[in-house]
Amino acid sequence: MSVPAIIMNNVKKSYGSGETRVEVLKQISLEIPVGDSVALIGRSGSGKSTLLSLLAGLDRPDAGDIFVEGENIALMTEKELTQFRASKMGIVFQQFHLVSTLTAIENVMLPLEILKIPDAFHKANNLLQSVGLSHRRDHLPSQLSGGESQRVAIARALATNPGILFADEPSGNLDEDTGSTVMDLLFQMVEKTKTTLILVTHDQELAQRCRRIVHLEHGRFV
Amino acid sequence: MKLRFFLSKELKKYPLFFLIFFFTTLLGTLGLIGISLISGRIQEKLQESANELLTSDISVSARREFTVIEQKILFDVLSVYPNDHYHVIDLYSMVSHHRKKSSRLVEIRSTQAGFPFYGEIILRDGEFNNQELYISQDLADQWEIDVGEILKVGDVTMKISGIVVRDSSLGLRGFSLAPRIYFPLEKLSATGLTKPGATGSFAYHFKLKTFDPNNIKDIKSLLLQRIKDSAIKITLPTDASEQTGRVFNIITNFMALSALIGLILSLVGVFYLYQSHLHARLRDLCVLNLYGLSKNTIALGILFQYSIVFFIVIAFELIGIVPLYQALAPTLSENLGFELGKAISFWRILKDLPFLYLLSLLILLPLILGLLRTEMGVQIKAQKISLGRFRFYDFFPFAFFLWIFSNYLARSFRTGSIFFFSIFVVFILSIALVKIGQWSIKKLVNGKGLSLPFIEFGIALRGLMRSGHKLTLSFLSLAMGAALISLILQLDVMILNEFLSDNKKPSLFLFDIQEEQLGPLVFLARENETPLEFITPMIRARLEKVNGQKFIKKKQDYDFRSSEEDEADRFRSHALNLTYRNYLTKAEKIVEGASFPQKGSSDRLPYVSIEKRWASRMDVSIGDRLTFDVQGVEIEGLVRNIKEVKWTSFYPNFFVTIEPGVLDGAPKTFLATILSVPKEKKLSLQRASVDKFPNVSFIDVEELIIKLTNLFTKSRKAIELMSWLSLTIGLIILYGLSHDQVYRRYYDLALLKSLGLSPWRLRINLLCEFGVVFFTAVSFGLLIGWSMAQIIGFEVFKLSWSIDWERILYPFLLLMLLCLSTILIASWRAVQSRPRELLSDI
Repeated sequence: MSVPAIIMNNVKKSYGSGETRVEVLKQISLEIPVGDSVALIGRSGSGKSTLLSLLAGLDRPDAGDIFVEGENIALMTEKELTQFRASKMGIVFQQFHLVSTLTAIENVMLPLEILKIPDAFHKANNLLQSVGLSHRRDHLPSQLSGGESQRVAIARALATNPGILFADEPSGNLDEDTGSTVMDLLFQMVEKTKTTLILVTHDQELAQRCRRIVHLEHGRFV
Repeated sequence: MKLRFFLSKELKKYPLFFLIFFFTTLLGTLGLIGISLISGRIQEKLQESANELLTSDISVSARREFTVIEQKILFDVLSVYPNDHYHVIDLYSMVSHHRKKSSRLVEIRSTQAGFPFYGEIILRDGEFNNQELYISQDLADQWEIDVGEILKVGDVTMKISGIVVRDSSLGLRGFSLAPRIYFPLEKLSATGLTKPGATGSFAYHFKLKTFDPNNIKDIKSLLLQRIKDSAIKITLPTDASEQTGRVFNIITNFMALSALIGLILSLVGVFYLYQSHLHARLRDLCVLNLYGLSKNTIALGILFQYSIVFFIVIAFELIGIVPLYQALAPTLSENLGFELGKAISFWRILKDLPFLYLLSLLILLPLILGLLRTEMGVQIKAQKISLGRFRFYDFFPFAFFLWIFSNYLARSFRTGSIFFFSIFVVFILSIALVKIGQWSIKKLVNGKGLSLPFIEFGIALRGLMRSGHKLTLSFLSLAMGAALISLILQLDVMILNEFLSDNKKPSLFLFDIQEEQLGPLVFLARENETPLEFITPMIRARLEKVNGQKFIKKKQDYDFRSSEEDEADRFRSHALNLTYRNYLTKAEKIVEGASFPQKGSSDRLPYVSIEKRWASRMDVSIGDRLTFDVQGVEIEGLVRNIKEVKWTSFYPNFFVTIEPGVLDGAPKTFLATILSVPKEKKLSLQRASVDKFPNVSFIDVEELIIKLTNLFTKSRKAIELMSWLSLTIGLIILYGLSHDQVYRRYYDLALLKSLGLSPWRLRINLLCEFGVVFFTAVSFGLLIGWSMAQIIGFEVFKLSWSIDWERILYPFLLLMLLCLSTILIASWRAVQSRPRELLSDI
């Protein structure tokens, strides 16, 4: 039996201090098998993005363990965590977060070059081709539309063949049609690469496209 | 009500912006306010002591004794106004001391009863009168002599009757050639020092019984009309203070221009800060506009808000500057060689304030115009909000006013304009260099991977390649600061080298050698093993005609005179000393025309060689016929060449040289030099010479160089202080720019972190990116500063080309260290923070 993609045990997280302290996640546990697609839904402030930040190693829990592909990322040093995240995870953000001074292809090449993976240019070029943007590869983010930017972000997130892809409201900044096209592409790519998908969304319809839906409310799964 | 919004709410909402804005403006204006205060204090002191400096209400002087006709005109004009008067003769001559067996050059001032009308001569013991010999305290200290000892002045020996401890007519001398002694006028002719050719000043001083400034001006203009000879100089107390203050004016004007660079840098910072600020709150402003606040009111509010902060800064400075100035006054006084006093005149500061305020407002004009061009209704719906574009011509009012302000501060159209255009050229070169750099990087990285040669550097190169005008601003602020530091350091070493490095520089300079004394003096010098070199005749003459037309002296009575007008006036005097020879000294170089032929010819006019600046001031060029009056005989010559003269060489140099032949028989004195010799030999020659040739004067060049170096070192410290202030402002702006750029790219940094770059690799990335900018900007600035030093050194001081690598390398290393530390500090938090902010709903 293969190791689950993610195991989360009794994870707690709070922000602020004293009277302003807010407990965002209240001792929650979750297990996600490899290749699964999970939608995290909930109202604003329910803690879903906090949960995503902990799973993706962008932040650390106050308590509890988070195993990603069998390794406890809560115990890793900053350096180990950075290295682990770069090689095992891909993230797609609502705001796209393309590096403003790099072109589309350079943005896709970026994770490959950081990990010193050879032939970065051709791999990035193929990925841009697969998201339908090879004609825009030398454009800067400021010269791309929202939909195009998000497609570049998807290509970048999948460039290193990560085991897990985190997507934070990937269509949240796009109009309905563009959002729909981008999400089709995302699911297609995930399916093709057998990547585990964890999707944060408000959109019930979009959540339905995942195999599993996890509902978060006031820092607990319901 | 609407305006109150900007004052109360805004200050509360953007405290950091206002704090940085406050400090940038504070530092930018501090230099100018400080300079204004110091120069104001100097001017006040000069004005206070104007009458004391001249010792009378009006002085009429010449470098020769007045003719009978001139005396008649003078006393006729003055007879209309009841007055008292006295005669004063100032001469430079050697005096010797028998016990010390030593002699030295002194300024001999001979006065009549009544001297001084204004001011005071205070003796250590007793009262000053015009019948005794008094020496200055510094001469008494140098020779360790006292009252009762005997001095030999020319052919007369006389007992010292007192030591002068305060002489108000000395004024604020930054530099004097020799200490002063007072000698009775009645005995002066007996000394034999007043022979024709002696270097001195012969003056009549008048005090009106009923003083009226208008009368003084009338007298001056009447005398100017009636005495046509420009060799006669009429001085009012204000002229005397201007002349005495010239050295201080040059220093303070230079410091003011250095401070202006600081102000410009701070205005660059203010512009950038306001641009970022307006951009950050544009959506708020659009909302205000939507709810009825017109764009004009918003613009007015911003200007009002800016003005409030500006005046808070000024008020802060005015309050803070009193204790600061009083604490620094003793050190400043010591460095300037001038007692500043602790009183402060706020009027001087307030006088400059409108200029400062207007200049500061005009830098915001492009932003305000951009704001007025913003379509706020459209922007409020836009996903990416942007301020209306400003055009390059929006900066014209600022540039124009900066030029005016530069001229005002430099008190010179030429210097102010050169300064302004230098800044402009540095600005244009900076833009060009940034563009060329970006183009080169583009060529370098084109088609290559990000790891060039490693990923941190590859990303940095792309950041540089695609940066906009902020890169130019960072570059410019640093380059200008570095240029200023380099300029001062290089000019400093050039001047010091010029004075100290030439081993062949004369050790003694001799003048007033009469024709009949030359042979015996040459013999005496040879006997002493200190042979005379560069023996050069000197003939007193007057320029009478140019191309047969009477040379007209354009002398005016100025209310405000620029440095150029002062200088031109001094130059335009008809009277001059000239020489004849057909060779060039080491200090001369022909820049136009041909050298004199080896043999003269009686078929043509004798050739004349003239100094470049003299030619320009007198408006004379090659081929012009010049007619000189030499002791009543007219001599005509043809300008053959124009030469540059290195005056700091201490060789016998002249503005005008005539081909040998025509002047050989004219009455003359001689100048000569003695090359570097042991001190004992130097002293023995002076001792022997004073006995035999009392009128011959010696200047100890080594002693003079020490005095000049000390004077320069003092003023250099003040100028250096200004340069470092400007650089500090440059660094603060750099900090602001770096901080802003790092936070604008906050998400880029967070993303790079999420993709696997550790905080230290991110820092390496930032150090690479900013390091390239720092490296090129600092190198460019140091190079520009060095080049400017060479140009100024050559054009103004006639110094030789030089390079001091240590004074380039050390500032370079220091600046790089400061800049790289700045970027590390500015980015510390952004790099250290966790990348969770990348997510949407934290």
